[in-house]
Amino acid sequence: MHALRSRRFIWMGLGPTLILYALFVFVPVIWSAYYGFFNWSGIGEAKFIGLDNYAEILRDPVFWRALKNNVIFVLASVFGQVPLALMLAVLLHKSNLLQRFLRSAVFLPMVLSTVVIGMIWQYIYHPQIGILNFLLDALGLENWKLEWLSDRNIAIYSLIPPLIWSYVGLYLIIFMSALQNIPGEIHDAAKIDGVSGARKLVTITLPMIKNTVQVAVILCISGSLKSFDLVYIMTKGGPAHASELLATYMYNSTFTTYRYGFGSAISTTIMVISLLLIGTSQWLTSRKKGRA
Amino acid sequence: MNTPTPAIGRTADPSPRISLRKAGTAIFWTVLALYGILTLYPFLWLLISAFKTNTDFYNRPFGLPESWQWDNFSRAWESSRLGSAFGNSLIVTIGSLVLTLFVAALSSFILARFQFKGKGGVLAFFVVGMLIPIHSTLVPLFILMKQMSLLNTYWALVLPYTAFALPTAIFVLTAYLTSIPRELEEASFIDGTGLWGLFFRIMLPISLPALSTVTILSFLHAWNDFSFALVFINKTALKTLPLAIANFADGYQTDYGLTLAAMTLSVIPTIVLYLLFQEQMMKGMTAGAVKG
Repeated sequence: MHALRSRRFIWMGLGPTLILYALFVFVPVIWSAYYGFFNWSGIGEAKFIGLDNYAEILRDPVFWRALKNNVIFVLASVFGQVPLALMLAVLLHKSNLLQRFLRSAVFLPMVLSTVVIGMIWQYIYHPQIGILNFLLDALGLENWKLEWLSDRNIAIYSLIPPLIWSYVGLYLIIFMSALQNIPGEIHDAAKIDGVSGARKLVTITLPMIKNTVQVAVILCISGSLKSFDLVYIMTKGGPAHASELLATYMYNSTFTTYRYGFGSAISTTIMVISLLLIGTSQWLTSRKKGRA
Repeated sequence: MNTPTPAIGRTADPSPRISLRKAGTAIFWTVLALYGILTLYPFLWLLISAFKTNTDFYNRPFGLPESWQWDNFSRAWESSRLGSAFGNSLIVTIGSLVLTLFVAALSSFILARFQFKGKGGVLAFFVVGMLIPIHSTLVPLFILMKQMSLLNTYWALVLPYTAFALPTAIFVLTAYLTSIPRELEEASFIDGTGLWGLFFRIMLPISLPALSTVTILSFLHAWNDFSFALVFINKTALKTLPLAIANFADGYQTDYGLTLAAMTLSVIPTIVLYLLFQEQMMKGMTAGAVKG
């Protein structure tokens, strides 16, 4: 009706949003692709060096360890968080007081700062005052006591329990709402057919929420690429880069040595890896759907 | 192994089955209760330990403090600059919250209620942006902020928090606003309300439920963020809560009670909000994760 006036309104309204979004989300991507070809310390002239940064990344054993650790995080999330959350979702489906309380308790770490979560777990693993080692003492398992975060062979695995503990609540709620969305008739039909308990879970309930499980797996993958805070707080990627993730590798190689060109190249590499991963997982799930 | 007794028992005599079921229920509740304790214990430990002296950490790792050190909290508050960190967190959180809500609501109103050329492109732009892993932008954003002389200002946090909150906010709000019947705005046009009036007086109030979801997500994201603050802020006076707590822990590592008291103080606001709005927080965060 007021075509001209509304066109001005449309672009006046969208303009600031688009500028803000482009400037802080897209420009950095282009910037990092560009600076990835330079040797630049932040001050002075940037020197064009072609693909040298990328060659250095691919030769760097720390990069490969970081990539491997990211894969470990994905596997731990997929095979730790998802089954645990599914189990809890099935167990907590009624809502009496205790179950509601447990659901809130499991979700609580999701709303707290990862800094505090990481620090709490740092104290749990603490070599002198850590309650984990005190607990092992009390149980007479002194031999099992370890330097949980400073032993380079186990540091990355010590990070898995806090990882699972802090995110399981998210998957719990996702699965619980999927379970609630199963139509009541299906439960009735199962009752008439005399299917219940574990058999019902495996043959009816789980297939019904298969799509949600797939979404959860994709979330695990993208979530693992986002992990930075927990590792940075608990180990800073150490000892000797043993628990480095791609994001901490990028941080440590940029801001401790002022190599912005090299760091930009790592940024671009992470971007490519995550697009590949997300693309592959989307492709796999859509292919499956096409067949079904 | 394969004795037929259970089968016979099942048909002839119901009592073993009942007691089996009772045992099952008992195991079920024990496992749930144990999991609940396990999941809450770290927080309980934090709260209790915040009152301890250093000797208590060695002598009574699982017990209550020998004497409750209330002054841990006052000392922590004074020595950690928590007051200024609270203020900074509040400023950047409210700043990005107000900006996100206004900009996202206006854009969503336009995307949901107007037909125009380029609408599909705008939506695709936001979808593509969601694929960019947030941490891979740290280095290029740092370079960008440096070039714009925004490092060590509140804007260095407010603007990226807003930009990265935009896609989820726009999807939540657009989906909500699309579901509102057309008659509403036709009626208001007849009344002579302009487009801005329609937006402020009708669309904003009507989308309150969606706005509250966006508020929760943006609040938690900005309040808990660590990585952006770590990279963009190094002036002590501007440090936000997670950054201040992490730095405080580095400085006071041997006074355990003091560090834990500071950590406890820093999580109190979030825990209080969680107790008040937990249902909304759970729903909001899962919606944000699945869409994001």
